[in-house]
Amino acid sequence: MAEGVVFDLGYAPHDGPRLGRSGARRALLRDGLRRVLGLRRKARRKIFPVLLVTIAVIPALFFVAFGVIAGEFDATATLFGHSDYFDLTGSMALIFIALASSELLIPDRVHGTMSVYSSRPLTTVDYLTGRATALLFVVFGFLWLPHIVLFIGRAWVSSGGFGDYVTDNFPVVWETALASFVYFIGYASVAFLIAAFSSRTSVAAGTYLGVMTLSGPITESLVEAGFPALGLGALQHHPGYVKDWILDDSTRTWIPEQAGIEPITSLLVIVVLSLATGLVVAGRYRRAG
Amino acid sequence: MAGTPILSINGLRFAYGDILAVDGVTAEVPAGRIGLVGANGAGKTTLLKLLLGVLKPAAGTIKVLGHPIPRQTLEVRSRVGWMPESDCLPPDQTAADFIGYAAELGGLPVRAARQRASDILGLVGLHEERFRYMDGFSTGMKQRAKLAQAIVHDPDLVLLDEPTAGLDPEGREEMLDLVRRLDDFGINAVISSHVLTDIESTCDWVVMLDGGKVLRSGPLTALSTPDVAELEIIGDMEAVAREAQSMGAAVEIGSDALTLSMPGGDPFTVARDAVVAAGAAFRRLGVKRTTLEDVFMAGSEDDG
Repeated sequence: MAEGVVFDLGYAPHDGPRLGRSGARRALLRDGLRRVLGLRRKARRKIFPVLLVTIAVIPALFFVAFGVIAGEFDATATLFGHSDYFDLTGSMALIFIALASSELLIPDRVHGTMSVYSSRPLTTVDYLTGRATALLFVVFGFLWLPHIVLFIGRAWVSSGGFGDYVTDNFPVVWETALASFVYFIGYASVAFLIAAFSSRTSVAAGTYLGVMTLSGPITESLVEAGFPALGLGALQHHPGYVKDWILDDSTRTWIPEQAGIEPITSLLVIVVLSLATGLVVAGRYRRAG
Repeated sequence: MAGTPILSINGLRFAYGDILAVDGVTAEVPAGRIGLVGANGAGKTTLLKLLLGVLKPAAGTIKVLGHPIPRQTLEVRSRVGWMPESDCLPPDQTAADFIGYAAELGGLPVRAARQRASDILGLVGLHEERFRYMDGFSTGMKQRAKLAQAIVHDPDLVLLDEPTAGLDPEGREEMLDLVRRLDDFGINAVISSHVLTDIESTCDWVVMLDGGKVLRSGPLTALSTPDVAELEIIGDMEAVAREAQSMGAAVEIGSDALTLSMPGGDPFTVARDAVVAAGAAFRRLGVKRTTLEDVFMAGSEDDG
């Protein structure tokens, strides 16, 4: 039996512009964003991203609403300052990155879609950069958006006036942006590494969450047993420690801090780890052809 | 050869570790529908991947549409489509979304990509199914969607790797019809297949591979040999053969036909005279047509 009906409307060649590699890169980025957010996918794919973004922003909206009703936003009376807020969203970002990074990389390999990419004007680095950038946009937005809501809300209800508040506290904007970026790099590099070598999204996400969360208690025990250098292995704690350094705050005692490691060293660990994982993942994709 | 060749390959070699997959391939191929034939493992898919710049050759040079590979790989990929033999369709996307995305990846602006996706899906017979998720597609529909993604960005050349794989006879014929129509669209095609009849029915040029080497590269029409007559006889075939030999013809007796050649003469005149002299009649008389299988088998034996 025939599979389909051919509607012969003729063939019209494409006479318009061709955007080449730059167009392909932008298409890749758009597809990555859609995939991370579950857009143009089945309904169940949308649930988690929407839920997570909602959970991240609700506390900020609550505090702003509280300030509006009370007529003044008392920062000391709220449960969450900017630094504390990262401790809440950071954990959610970890889960989000676990799921999103495997969703970005694994289906393309498992379903053979890589062969489509390899026939288009894209390099391996273009592909991986596009995927990472899509994740960066979403995770960065997820981490940073609540701070912007909080910042604008505080400025709005400030007794000193909106303008004065913004002028006096503007560094918070870029500090929280920088901290959000550090969280992304610190968490996503390991997630991409694991996703690049896995063939099942659930296994990759589970392995990643296991590695990241277990790195804390294991290295803590080793640090307490007299091996402070092993505090460098507390993968989940480096971004938080660097965030406190950037925001000049201290929400808790991070394991690298407990091991006597300087925040700059934690930042170096994040940078070196991301470069190393980037090279390994690129090598893996180049070999796979 | 008329016109600029779409493929110029010279001394191409590629190995997977110790296994030589492409061994000194040299070929110059004109525009049109090109058949790439060979047994499984002959190096067809490897050669296609080398043409796309996915694999890097160990030696030799390649030019696709006049662009050297790997130096201008991305330029080539902007103008080439690729239909892989294996699956390449994400199951959680609709055909319209994915084909539109494939067009964007080929460099088309978003709006043009959407429009062309819709047009091409209609052209390959998936208009009704364009908003269905592809995890529910049959093998035939998947092959059509794979062809759609390969031509949606209006390439100058499309590389089709076993386009009829897994299709039932009707689906196979429909796919071959689509492949034949690529000429009308102005799209050149390299069609890789181990099914020789598919190539015979769709292509006008053939490159035969065996063990990573080129057995033959040339137009399909050259396979016919006009100076050899093939005849089927009603009556005594051996008597006709004897008469023809007595007239100086070289004769081969097959199970149900004679082939007859006449150096310096017309084999058809000899065939007519021999049949009359033997008191027999023709069931069929024509130019001996060499099939791809004949050439392939002969080439393989020579090689062996």
